[in-house]
Amino acid sequence: MIEVKNLVRTFKSGDRTIKPVNDVSFELERGTLASIVGKSGSGKSTLLSLLGALDKPTSGDVVVNGVSLAGMPDGKLTNYRRRDIGFVFQQFNLIPNLSALDNVMLPMEFAGVRKAARAERARQLLAQVQLDPDKHVRRINRLSGGEQQRVAIARALANEPKLILADEPTGNLDEQTGEHIIDLLSTLSRDHNTTILVVTHDRALANKTDRRFRLQQGRLTEETVRPGATAAVTGSAPASPDGSGLTGPDLSGPDLTSPAVRTA
Amino acid sequence: MSVLARSVGNAFRNKVRTAAVVAVLAVAIGLALAMLVANQAVTGKVAELNASVGTVLTVNPAGGQGFEGGGEPLTSAQAVTAAAVPNVSSVVGTKALRLRNAAEIAAQAASGRTGQGGPGGQSATSVTTSLRAAIDAGTLGNRNQGTTGTSGSTAQAAPAFSLPVTATGIGAEIDADGKALQLTKGTGLGNYTGASTGALLGTTLAEKNGLSVGSTFTIQDKTFTVKGLFDAGTAFGNNALYVTLPTAQTLAALPGELSTMIVTVNSMENVDAAKTALQAALGSSKADVTQGQRNLQTAVSSLDSVKNISFIAFVAALGTAGLIILLIMVMLVRERRREIGVLKAIGAPNRTIGLQFVLEALVLVALGSVVGAAVASLASGSIASALISSSGSTGAATGRRGFPGGPGGAFGGASQLLTSVTASASPGVIATGIAAVFGVAIIGALVPALLTARIRPIEVLRGE
Ligand SMILES: Nc1ncnc2c1ncn2[C@@H]1O[C@H](COP(=O)(O)OP(=O)(O)OP(=O)(O)O)[C@@H](O)[C@H]1O
Ligand SMILES: [Mg+2]
Repeated sequence: MIEVKNLVRTFKSGDRTIKPVNDVSFELERGTLASIVGKSGSGKSTLLSLLGALDKPTSGDVVVNGVSLAGMPDGKLTNYRRRDIGFVFQQFNLIPNLSALDNVMLPMEFAGVRKAARAERARQLLAQVQLDPDKHVRRINRLSGGEQQRVAIARALANEPKLILADEPTGNLDEQTGEHIIDLLSTLSRDHNTTILVVTHDRALANKTDRRFRLQQGRLTEETVRPGATAAVTGSAPASPDGSGLTGPDLSGPDLTSPAVRTA
Repeated sequence: MSVLARSVGNAFRNKVRTAAVVAVLAVAIGLALAMLVANQAVTGKVAELNASVGTVLTVNPAGGQGFEGGGEPLTSAQAVTAAAVPNVSSVVGTKALRLRNAAEIAAQAASGRTGQGGPGGQSATSVTTSLRAAIDAGTLGNRNQGTTGTSGSTAQAAPAFSLPVTATGIGAEIDADGKALQLTKGTGLGNYTGASTGALLGTTLAEKNGLSVGSTFTIQDKTFTVKGLFDAGTAFGNNALYVTLPTAQTLAALPGELSTMIVTVNSMENVDAAKTALQAALGSSKADVTQGQRNLQTAVSSLDSVKNISFIAFVAALGTAGLIILLIMVMLVRERRREIGVLKAIGAPNRTIGLQFVLEALVLVALGSVVGAAVASLASGSIASALISSSGSTGAATGRRGFPGGPGGAFGGASQLLTSVTASASPGVIATGIAAVFGVAIIGALVPALLTARIRPIEVLRGE
């Protein structure tokens, strides 16, 4: 369970101070799939980086399973990122001269997983994000944007994190692949009790989440969940191409995180 | 993919730049190795010179220096006095004899010539032998051995002399310079302080007389057995034989009398002090103490400067290699700032990232070392010769003077040194040099590697 307490992050630009995250508080139970929507520049990525211990808040605290990040030394924060967090970056941030497989194996290498086990699991994960097997060994800078995005998602899942923070994970994907990723995340939260917080402009994705937040000028508000009432999410978010919202594909996919399961 | 594999991969990410860096590193490393090889060669040479003759003092009877003999002979009692002087590690007495072929003396006596004459060694006693000298007297020999220059006309008519054979009684298995005898055949004489009928012959002397180990010959009608053959390296030195000290004293009928004493001092630094103390102990009216090779000092000090120059150049080249690594790694760290941030964001510990950069630097250094070692083994000879010739001709010190009977040109000049320089480009020296290069490279790479610890993972969220 994750508790966010009065989180503030300010930036100075010249003589002006901007507050992309301004007194944000919320709690997420384990296994919750939550989404954050908001205008471009509203502070979504900034908030996510604070939760993922990539950045330090100006004030406030994040408490993960009773442990506060505020006073944690850098070494411990590194361990937290490695063990407990899976981060999908808005710009993917893959290592360009490594193959897709090597990129997915990296977090496992840092966690001390044996080489054979790493390769095995990386292949499964890449298959789960539907990357063609012949592209597994291809260098990242020879993959398309959508392919890179899926490698980034696979990498975030590598160490079976308790909390997945995904910054627009379907932004570069076609509708069908995007839906597949949404299903993947839902399954993880439901079957593996993984807490997932997704930043998205994708109405279809937002509608499938258990809880929906909106970030506006640094302030977070939760939208009341009214099934079918997709119009509740209004404003800057681009309109969903279809109004159907909640009807998604079958969610009972294969077990996505257990290394023991092979994907056909 | 491991840290090492990633480091190797990263080292070749930009192949053109890698080639350029390796080339520059190879020059610095090659220079460092060449300088180390030169330094080792010179160090070895200096040590060799010091070890061979540097600590040996020679004691002659006062006034006995040179060909004009005089004064009182040295005695065994003085040897005991000399041995008691501080820092003296050994005193070896010698007794020189001039051996003349008995048949020749008879022939000369018949033709009215005195066999004895001319400038002799300072305190050599002449005795007869069955041996014939290995050297023909020639013009120089006749002039030296003839009656002291008063009747040149008789010398022309008379049959040619042969040179006397130098027999030296020695108190240890060393030659007149204090160096160990180079036995080529047979064994030594065992106990040099007791009487013995064994003798050690110079190779040419033995050859001339058709002798080998086990053969016999006579001195003063006493039979001696050849126990071993030695090579002194010169024609004069090989026209000689050694017997034990008491034997020589008995042959000369002068027991307890010494021609010279060879005094070894325990270390190079104590030579001057020991020389002064020895002179004082023996008395300047009784004995002259000389240092075998006075101009060795000049040679050694000139070689020392070559040693210092090459060492400084080695350190400088090593430092340059370290600096090149430092700069290139700082550049790489700056360039991959974002990537380092990504690695940290996905949980890479600082030490893993630091290690990755150090290993990458070592890959570059390893390539530079391979090329550099090749360059060094080609260049070290010419670099060393340039160094030595620029240090002046003193490096090529000439032989010694002031000690009759010893081989001249005890140590060679530049060409001989160069031979040892080439010989010093051994795998061991190169390995030592490369180890030093790697040590410096690790230090050079550590600075930028530690800088990576300060990069914050949030950097990845910001565009370039
Ligand atoms: N390091 C920084 N220094 C100064 N300003 C910053 C910094 N990082 C972010 N900002 C500003 O904070 C605000 C929020 O940025 P953020 O990246 O969180 O927006 P976002 O909601 O993720 O937008 P988008 O939907 O376009 O990704 C922006 O106005 C941005 O310019
Ligand atoms: Mg963003």
